[in-house]
Amino acid sequence: MEKILLKLCVNGETCQVAVPPNKLLLDVLREDLGLTGSKRGCDDSSCGCCAVLIDGTPMLSCVALAASYAGAEITTVEGLAPPGELHPVQEGFAVSGGAQCGYCTPGFLIATKALLDRNPQPTLEEIREALSSNLCRCTGYMQIYESVRLALERWQQVPRTAAASPTAAQGSQ
Amino acid sequence: MTLPAFSLVRPQTVAEALRVLQDAAPGQAKVIAGGTDLIPNLQMKLYAPQLVVDIKGIAALRGIEWSPGQGLRIGALTTLTELERAPIVREQFPVLAEAVAAVAGPLQRNMGTIGGNLCLETRCLWYNQSEFWRRALGGCLKLPMPNPHAAHPRTICHVAPGGKFCWAVWSGDSAPALLALDAEVEISGPRGVTRRPLRELYKNDGMDRLALGHDELLTAVHIPARAAGRRGTYRKLRIRNSIDYPLAGVAVAMEVDDQGICHAARVAIAAVNPAPLLVPQAEALLVGQKASPELIEEVARAVTRTGKPLTTSASTPEYRREMLRVFTRRALQACWDRRDNVEHERDTGD
Repeated sequence: MEKILLKLCVNGETCQVAVPPNKLLLDVLREDLGLTGSKRGCDDSSCGCCAVLIDGTPMLSCVALAASYAGAEITTVEGLAPPGELHPVQEGFAVSGGAQCGYCTPGFLIATKALLDRNPQPTLEEIREALSSNLCRCTGYMQIYESVRLALERWQQVPRTAAASPTAAQGSQ
Repeated sequence: MTLPAFSLVRPQTVAEALRVLQDAAPGQAKVIAGGTDLIPNLQMKLYAPQLVVDIKGIAALRGIEWSPGQGLRIGALTTLTELERAPIVREQFPVLAEAVAAVAGPLQRNMGTIGGNLCLETRCLWYNQSEFWRRALGGCLKLPMPNPHAAHPRTICHVAPGGKFCWAVWSGDSAPALLALDAEVEISGPRGVTRRPLRELYKNDGMDRLALGHDELLTAVHIPARAAGRRGTYRKLRIRNSIDYPLAGVAVAMEVDDQGICHAARVAIAAVNPAPLLVPQAEALLVGQKASPELIEEVARAVTRTGKPLTTSASTPEYRREMLRVFTRRALQACWDRRDNVEHERDTGD
């Protein structure tokens, strides 16, 4: 199969990859770009572990052909905060124990980030609805909703342009 | 898993897409928009197209336009999320807003399009399985996989053994709502652009579901202005409430005056036949009438006569038929009581 030369914009960096047309975005992120934060769970679009932001909208990279998203702005869990720092959403999950085995966490973080970008004051019902594409097989949903609530508090405290530092997370415990 | 090998083209205009579809051999090209139906089916090796035509780049197929004279025009690439959030849809076409919000989960709706949702592949317990699983049974009518070691070396329908008809179920949510709103689809093809009633798009055949040529493209959906403001609601049965295909769906749209008299009514069902269907007797039974338990029960019985659930899903046909009746009753009562707000609690059959 002939490969296609693609320009992808991932986490703010433009990169070129040569991929076959049947390669999924999830596989290009994990195999060609080494971004293994996005996970393969169900592989048929029903678990949300592979969620990434495409032009700011959360989508499932396991049902996206990489070649279809050439030129789009893609954000994976690795791109939520600069290296060594945590995004307020990640802080919320870290502090409230929003991760058990952790496999579904990247997808939840991406879906939460997209929710708070769109709706900075979500109700519990809106949080549940926004996260309803994501499946946690450890079934730790209560801690996850608590994490989102905490993330919301941090989100409102930090200036929107800068990500919070990890020390801020420790300070509030 | 890897997808079967194919070439990919990304046309930027409808004309370019039609040219590509015309040049491809019949059955050798698959159109992709959101990908939420096609990619899992490719993963299961349900098809092996030579060519995949990605139409997402066609800007002319996006957007919702409303005009009081012309009605609502929805571009085929409009995502289900865009449709669900559009104020005009929420205010004037509540049955559609509810049905679209019931499709899968929010991430799937960010990808899935209205055109794709109307053109969904039919589904069956015996078809939507891995290649390995299907081969062990010798495949089925919809996708034969001859296997001399299988229990039935001859390809049979596992739902209705001995039958020659495929009962795979049309399992979408938006079509019953659009049928209840008298929607039409705009089809672009080599003979130009035509509009036909949505109900004529479906052939009620699990194997050959759509009256859409291999060289044609569904480019828009139109809802006539007369359907604006109809009270409406959609009720859906599914195993997993956060994300699942329907096991039965009932859409109701009605005009009711201040005295509680019904002036127009449509009841449509999905996920129990190889096509989404309008219930033919519903309108005649309801128009000119006021709500009464006897009337509602009579309509519910007519609905269960139209629905033909079989063993195509993990749920039993008896349960799905009974839920058609229950949902019809609740949906009609809700319309009469004007509990038609999209914010109402989801009816999940509990």
